[in-house]
Amino acid sequence: MGTFIAIVLAAVLTNNFITVKTYGICPFLGVSKKTSSAVGMGVAVTIVMALATLVTYPVYTLVMVPLGFGFLEIIFFIFIIAALVQMLEKIIQKLSPSLYNTMGIYLPLITTNCAVLGVAELVIGDMSQFLNGASMNLGWAVLYALFAGLGFTLVMIIMSGMREKLNCYKTPKALAGFPTAMVTASFICMAFMVFTYIQI
Amino acid sequence: MNLLAITAETWKTVGIVAGIFAGSALLIGILILVVGKVFKVDVDEKVTKILENLAGANCGGCGCSGCSGFAAKLASGGGDLSDCHVTSPEKKAEIAKLLGVELKAEEPTVAVVKCNGGSENCGEKFEYKGNPSCASCASLLGGNKLCSYGCLGCGDCKAICPENAIEVKGKLAEVDPDKCVSCGSCIAACPKHIIERIPASAPVYVACSSKCKGKDVMGVCKVGCIGCGLCAKNCPHGAITMVDNLPVFDYSKCTGCLTCVQKCPRKIILKRDVPSAAQKTEA
Repeated sequence: MGTFIAIVLAAVLTNNFITVKTYGICPFLGVSKKTSSAVGMGVAVTIVMALATLVTYPVYTLVMVPLGFGFLEIIFFIFIIAALVQMLEKIIQKLSPSLYNTMGIYLPLITTNCAVLGVAELVIGDMSQFLNGASMNLGWAVLYALFAGLGFTLVMIIMSGMREKLNCYKTPKALAGFPTAMVTASFICMAFMVFTYIQI
Repeated sequence: MNLLAITAETWKTVGIVAGIFAGSALLIGILILVVGKVFKVDVDEKVTKILENLAGANCGGCGCSGCSGFAAKLASGGGDLSDCHVTSPEKKAEIAKLLGVELKAEEPTVAVVKCNGGSENCGEKFEYKGNPSCASCASLLGGNKLCSYGCLGCGDCKAICPENAIEVKGKLAEVDPDKCVSCGSCIAACPKHIIERIPASAPVYVACSSKCKGKDVMGVCKVGCIGCGLCAKNCPHGAITMVDNLPVFDYSKCTGCLTCVQKCPRKIILKRDVPSAAQKTEA
């Protein structure tokens, strides 16, 4: 249970992908104008992160390391994730057109998203620090990826909500639009930095 | 490191890596191909062809999410081609041919703002200093105009108009009929619902939307319709009926004699500058 809480807190708050690790900045700034599209993007990223980890972690530990080409991880992971997202897009389009219309349109945007690649990299590398002494396995890896995705979605929703709200106010001409978004982003990141003092 | 110093061992490793990549690329490629075949979505060719012929303004005036939504609706037998006001008649004829239906002859229309109560004619309930948008303003007691039906003049219609056909002068929006393509974006955006389509050749229009009784209108607006019905009584062609204290025109009967314009005591029936070619000959 301790490990579970540690992983969830680390993934969502203390090591949030956007605000602390600065992964996935392009959807964070690009798709956060409307809450509806931010939610769609967040859900798509969450699903792809969990699925990608589910595939890349066993491939790495069971195939790549024993065969001695573990050093090819980054290039191989991009390979696998891109293929996975392509297949996922086709499957969703066939099985659920409504889900495809809300979420699937964001899938091509995240084929090589750094947040997705980042989580695949983290679970084979740095993740031991969040494990609280437990040994690493596929379950923890997927759990971490899932909650990292939820943390991503959380920040996306906060950002889009603030940007929607900011649209209702007059901003100085020089700051209107993207500069305001950058300032907003920096404030969100600073707010999340507070969580890094949580000691588990 | 000298290139020549690369040993046979290194080349072997490179070869193995290349082999692994080629192998897995082939494998994943086949996998994607299989998934693509199994989960193939049949895209209706009709939809793509209809979409090609639509104007592609994605204005949303038809009530669909965009042109692709409208194309899908048309292809499935729902919707009406006349819901789209942007596509040219020639393109519409092509779509009708694709759909196998008869194209109804339709008159071009334009949007008009049915209000003439600018700041000099209609006062304000309170000073509004919020976000300059009609939707925000309308959410506060229905807006700051004394007349609860009047144009708020914050320019939501101007902001959404894809053709830049709308000007806001003295807190009153006005549509330039030459630029208007009658897409309907402004009609949907106006929180007071006072923008309406009229035939492009219509000689007159009613510049008021107030459904209030005459006495109430008198108090708030200098150019509001008091619902006296003089226009309806005096129209020689019976083109005007009174509904909810407002004259409603049947433009098929209107000949443009302008009797109503002269009879209106409040001068709210306005003559439009219709291009002479489009103007109907007087009967």
